[in-house]
Amino acid sequence: MSKQLSRRDFLKLATAGAATSAVLTGCGPASRYVKREPYMKMPEYTYNGLSTYYATTCRECAAACGLVVRTMQGRAIKVEGNAENPVNLGKTCARGQATLQGLYNPDRVENPTQQGRGKGAASQMDWDAAIQVVAEALKNNDPSEIAFLMGTAPDHLFDLVSDLANAIGAPAPVRFGALSMFESRATLSRAAEELFGQSAMPYFDIANSDLVLSFGANFLETWISPVSFTREYAQMRRGKPRKRGYFVQFESRMSQTAAKADEWVPLRPGTEGLVALAIGKLVAEAKDTAVPASFEAIDPAEVARTADVKLETLEHIAQLVVDSEHPLAVPGGTAVGQTNGLATAESVLALNAQFGNYGMTGGVYISPLGPNQDEYHRPASPEEMLNLIWKMKDGKVKVLFIHGVNPVFELPSHLGFLDTLQYVPQVISFATFPDETAVASDYIFPDHHGLESWGYQRAVVSSQPVLSGAQPVISPFFNTRATADVLIAAAQQAGGQFAEALPFADEVAFIQSKLSPLVGDPDGSFLAPEINMFSAYFQQHGGWWKNDPALSAPIASGALTKKLDPGVAEFSGEGEFFFVPFVSPTIGEAGANKPWLQELPDPTTTVTWNTWVEMNPETAHELGIDNDDIVEVMSEAGSVQAAVYLYPAIRPDVIAMPFGQGHTAYGQFAAGRGANPVNILSIHFNAAGDLAFAGVKVNVKKTGRKHELARMEGKVGVYEFRKE
Amino acid sequence: MTSNLELPVFTNNSEAELGGKWGMVVDRDLCTGCQACVAACSMENNVPFVGETDMAYGRGMHWIRVERLWEGLEADYQEVKMTSYQPLMCQQCHNAPCEPVCPVYAAVHSMSEDINLQVYNRCVGTRYCANNCPYQARVFNWRDYTDYRPGNTADNDPSWSVLQNHLNPDVTVRRRGVMEKCTFCIQRIHKAEDTAKSEGRDVRDGEVVPACAQACPANAITFGRIDDPESMVSKAAETSRGSLLLEEMRTQPRVTYLAGGA
Amino acid sequence: MIKKLFEWLLSPMGRVAVLIGALSVFSLAAYGIYTTQQPPEQPIAFRHDIHVNLGVQCLYCHPGALRGASPGLPTQNKCWGCHQQIAKTNTSPRLAVLKDYVQNNKPVQWVPVAQVPDFVHFKHRPHIAAGLNCETCHGDMSKVEIAENPQVMNMGWCLNCHRDRTADNVQNNPDNDPGVSALLHEKRTKLTDCGTCHY
Repeated sequence: MSKQLSRRDFLKLATAGAATSAVLTGCGPASRYVKREPYMKMPEYTYNGLSTYYATTCRECAAACGLVVRTMQGRAIKVEGNAENPVNLGKTCARGQATLQGLYNPDRVENPTQQGRGKGAASQMDWDAAIQVVAEALKNNDPSEIAFLMGTAPDHLFDLVSDLANAIGAPAPVRFGALSMFESRATLSRAAEELFGQSAMPYFDIANSDLVLSFGANFLETWISPVSFTREYAQMRRGKPRKRGYFVQFESRMSQTAAKADEWVPLRPGTEGLVALAIGKLVAEAKDTAVPASFEAIDPAEVARTADVKLETLEHIAQLVVDSEHPLAVPGGTAVGQTNGLATAESVLALNAQFGNYGMTGGVYISPLGPNQDEYHRPASPEEMLNLIWKMKDGKVKVLFIHGVNPVFELPSHLGFLDTLQYVPQVISFATFPDETAVASDYIFPDHHGLESWGYQRAVVSSQPVLSGAQPVISPFFNTRATADVLIAAAQQAGGQFAEALPFADEVAFIQSKLSPLVGDPDGSFLAPEINMFSAYFQQHGGWWKNDPALSAPIASGALTKKLDPGVAEFSGEGEFFFVPFVSPTIGEAGANKPWLQELPDPTTTVTWNTWVEMNPETAHELGIDNDDIVEVMSEAGSVQAAVYLYPAIRPDVIAMPFGQGHTAYGQFAAGRGANPVNILSIHFNAAGDLAFAGVKVNVKKTGRKHELARMEGKVGVYEFRKE
Repeated sequence: MTSNLELPVFTNNSEAELGGKWGMVVDRDLCTGCQACVAACSMENNVPFVGETDMAYGRGMHWIRVERLWEGLEADYQEVKMTSYQPLMCQQCHNAPCEPVCPVYAAVHSMSEDINLQVYNRCVGTRYCANNCPYQARVFNWRDYTDYRPGNTADNDPSWSVLQNHLNPDVTVRRRGVMEKCTFCIQRIHKAEDTAKSEGRDVRDGEVVPACAQACPANAITFGRIDDPESMVSKAAETSRGSLLLEEMRTQPRVTYLAGGA
Repeated sequence: MIKKLFEWLLSPMGRVAVLIGALSVFSLAAYGIYTTQQPPEQPIAFRHDIHVNLGVQCLYCHPGALRGASPGLPTQNKCWGCHQQIAKTNTSPRLAVLKDYVQNNKPVQWVPVAQVPDFVHFKHRPHIAAGLNCETCHGDMSKVEIAENPQVMNMGWCLNCHRDRTADNVQNNPDNDPGVSALLHEKRTKLTDCGTCHY
């Protein structure tokens, strides 16, 4: 070819070609490909093109935060906090925000399913057949051999199942949740019982305190009611003119909560109780008052040596206590999740008695009961779960109903819940998502998502008795049915005592029967003369609560004379490192199937989408381990593998791992991602029956493989990322 | 009327406009790093998630991120401190470095709201603006993330579209090759202005609440009119703890940070 | 080879071929444009002209225009509210389609004719509040059988109107009042701001 096509000619040709194709293809407006489907019947209070807002209750954890959900044309599009609800006053946490990704999750159980324990193909059923199955399971078994296993939310369903079990003579339903296990709720309420003679959750008035000594309590993360505690924390810091509250955290690794502390005291795990007693003694000495009997036997210098902290640090903290007006000590988290957890919790409560803050501003109170509650029901401790497992193993459970909890994932695999399911002839799950427990069940009769449900939830920790109300914000998206409705229909079908136990037309009628004692209460957030009007207000305001705080002061008489001996916790296993599992602050116990929660960076390490092993850089250096090296963490109960994150703010003798990942089922975003640290926990309980989850020692071995953790924080050159 | 297109002015240094309009105050002492703002922002503004692999490449689409920085790393582990968390979003600079570098005027200044805009339909994806942003507040759509399924070769799985039901109709869903960033929830500003106008009044203080401020459990974020000395945000910005990020670059950011610590 | 092609194109035969090619491309394009300007086929051949001439107000069926962004489409309940009382509903073959939809509870999937791309956030309420009538943009529906779009709704068309209505000229500010002038300037800033519609 003699003459090359000139650049100019080429451009001319190209332009002409582009113009032609643009004319031919680009003319059709996008509207031609759109169809619009108006309502057939428009719901009441809905206007074309305008949003409708519904007040309801969050069900991502049991804290009972009120929500206002923005809906448009029948779709829920944004979750906002309910500003009226005293629990959260219009605020939400990240898990509450992402609840929409649970509602519109592509992996939800869409139909009632005959699951067949994951063996062979699952097949769909219709709801009539499903109700038939439940009715026969109720009717054809001895009531004493029926077991109900419930989650910590929702409360209305727990009440309904309790009534049913009570009426037919079945054992009371067992409630469990991984959060309550990591919060050691059984230990806290037992400690209150031992010291105050009243089994209830203690309430810590962080907002009005000016010095908070937190012994492992991770109240800014997932602990009990994180949104309300975060608000109280903000008030403690900046709520009072001129005086900024001071905050000290005793914890072996710097958690998100410890990161916000003015002083982080990295003590040796298991010595928190001793340190609390030592501070009590030092305060008494600094104040020049008589040392109370509880603290007498303690030698602060020896405690400082045992706990591997400086004596000056403890003396300095005691001085802070002396100088402050409203000191407060809070027990929780890993401090209580030890073999000596009960004594530690009691020691910290005794320290509060020494501060003289029982029933005082910025002190310790006893949480009020829920508005329609007679006595405090705490979730089952892991020891009580073990009792259930033994009962199953002995063949004393013929049918097991499971709702709102995923014990196969949440309980340490060493407890053997999954293996024990084979001794139960029939397992019926009401799971919304195909989690590990649901997959191992005979049937899944999916409940609605929380945003499609009626219900109520009592606030666990709040200064006021609060009953948060839930109502559907959209009509059910899939072919699911409310578990309460299924049980009511099945009871009617079973007839006899079953039908008498649940004489309700539907779930709403049952909820109204539970609300009716509140009608006419003059101290309520609203007044209504009769139940229908009450229900309407209940939906409109997103719940009902007492106007006045109903906190009661604990009786402190015995707290300072009781002989307390927390000692040092015992650790099981021959390992070199203390093992600290903690609940992931962003994912929590059940957030792994929501992609935006996976994408949120962990507040302390900024890792997303995976599990990591926190290790002090010095320790790692000695072991020849680098960032992103996959290591095997081995305990006497088993081993897990995850990539290492070199974390500067952790004791060199401690290894930490977040809980929340490591699912084998639970949908495409969760399954096969990360590792589950509870599977290497060996089973040791404290005196209150809570699991000593931080009482395990482990060894660490390099595997030679690497997995680059996807972190938010900068790495040297993002393009250096290599695939494994 | 014939079209005499007025090109946007990209250095906004006229005296009259220095006061600004919308502004934000972030109290670093109260921020607990809980990520509620990040989740709320993503849900409100249809921000897509990108999956583990792309997150590892640094392609996360967060419009707001909570930065955490270490102090005392050279010392013993007991002395290591985490400085207060710092939520960082577009600072809505009055004199924005992103604006003059855009060849297609996609990064322009809003003269009526005095914030930086990103006009998605103009953007051709040169990424000059992101390179020029000293706060690294801009993020780029490397794929059609809203349709994309992380870890799956099939980019358009029909079952996955279920997740798109919660998309906010007030905010554009961005396509591949488009730059985006925090808008100060301009859709909420417009909504409040529109409501106020229909009721014949001015926008009240506290009527416009961006998604991040609305969610924040610690109330660490305040938003409002900084040209009104009586507004909550102006009063919050007045304390001696306040500072602007990279103030010396004279970008005139609209977000004031209150120092953490004592 | 390309050089040969160029030489051939310059020959008389080539010129004719180019002409034919250009004509066919042009006519294809014209046909393409023509088809997009035709009203699309709707599931129900709804006659706007009949309804408007009977005195039904636009806002009766599209009330959202008064309150918010979208005017909305009427529910089947609204159609049936009137039509079940009209004898012709049972006899007319055209209305049999409606009857079928309503009685069998089938959703109607309308095809919108006036639509802007999804990166444009158009709101009806401020335009009605500014005193515009529906027909200013949507044409006189009393003369249209099946809904069609009389306007190419592009940004130039929007901006022309926004500029006209805020121009500081005799029409908008006959007395040359500096107060009005400042107000017009403020309005103009708002109405020509990218962020007013694009976010």
